[in-house]
Amino acid sequence: MSSDFYTSSILPHAAIIIKICRAYTNSQEDFEDYYQEVCLQIWKSRSNFNGQSEWSTWVYRLALNVSMTLLKKKKNNHQHFASDYLPAELAEEPRAFADEPLEQLYNAIRQLSEVDRGVILLYLEEKSYQEIADIIGSNANNIGVRIKRIKERLKKILDEKIN
Amino acid sequence: MKKSIETIWKEGFLNSDSIVTPKLNNLYNKKSEHIVDKFIRMFKINLVAITIGSVFILAMSWLVHIPYMGIGFFVLLNTLAYFNFKLRVGSNKIDKNVNSYQYLKSFDLWLNEMISINQKFSRIFYPLAILSVVAGFWFGEIGGDIPGENFVQFLLEQFPNMILVFGFPLYLLIGLFTFLALIAYSAGTIYKWDLNIVYGRIFKKLDEILADMEELRS
Repeated sequence: MSSDFYTSSILPHAAIIIKICRAYTNSQEDFEDYYQEVCLQIWKSRSNFNGQSEWSTWVYRLALNVSMTLLKKKKNNHQHFASDYLPAELAEEPRAFADEPLEQLYNAIRQLSEVDRGVILLYLEEKSYQEIADIIGSNANNIGVRIKRIKERLKKILDEKIN
Repeated sequence: MKKSIETIWKEGFLNSDSIVTPKLNNLYNKKSEHIVDKFIRMFKINLVAITIGSVFILAMSWLVHIPYMGIGFFVLLNTLAYFNFKLRVGSNKIDKNVNSYQYLKSFDLWLNEMISINQKFSRIFYPLAILSVVAGFWFGEIGGDIPGENFVQFLLEQFPNMILVFGFPLYLLIGLFTFLALIAYSAGTIYKWDLNIVYGRIFKKLDEILADMEELRS
């Protein structure tokens, strides 16, 4: 991958890739692997970009698909790490974000299903229902209902954490 | 919860420390190690299965009174397993302290060398395996009869002038050895086909990764 391609086509969207990868991983090592894999897949699939959508939308879609696939693969492979057997409090990784409420929100997002994580990330990035529907492969009405449910679930998780 | 999730999100990411872009290096590091480990693991399991299989065939051939087949297979399969265990040791010598591309290239080189040695070995292996089956049934004992002797007897009744060489019909020997020669000639192709059934997916993946890496380097 040329550094030109990385600088001009990936780096401007690095923030969203990072946000997505963080939501699908629990450790810094996994996060870096996911980030690298997403970048690699963007580079490898660049010829498939047909210009029908914005480049950024295409990057979102690819980042989500790669992250969901990697998470599924990991689950299917039953890869267990020592931390999997520790109580939740002990197994927690060092905090990825200095901002505590953000870290708590991320922990709550990680408790959602793969697809719901994608939907809420796109919603928080202020994508329209139609854009989310296009990226996820659904319709705008369903997305609206789904976001409402996800937000209620997140609120419940965060309230439980506080109490 | 005091703040909405939208506010938490926005305020959290206002802090530039929240977005730290990881460095891209050793893109294929994990993939390379994973694919090599997977092959070595499968290879080892395969060799153990061959060894266990050889004992099973030996026992079964004894039970059904075709011991020559069992002995032949036992010797052949264990020789094959022994040589490949020896070859496998070579994979430990591949230097891991190099970049992913060099690591995979070294592995690919070792793999091709191993395949080449096995292809040569298969020129002996396949004909001898067939000979073991033939010998097993020819000299075996089925229902109290020796099939080989019965068959020669039957042929002699049909063709009294048939030429025998050490008790075997000459034309049958010519046919058998022609067939074995053909098998030896195409053994390399048969071995490759055999190998692809077991490891085809890994080889394909390895080729894909190497092609990607070469494109990345260009």
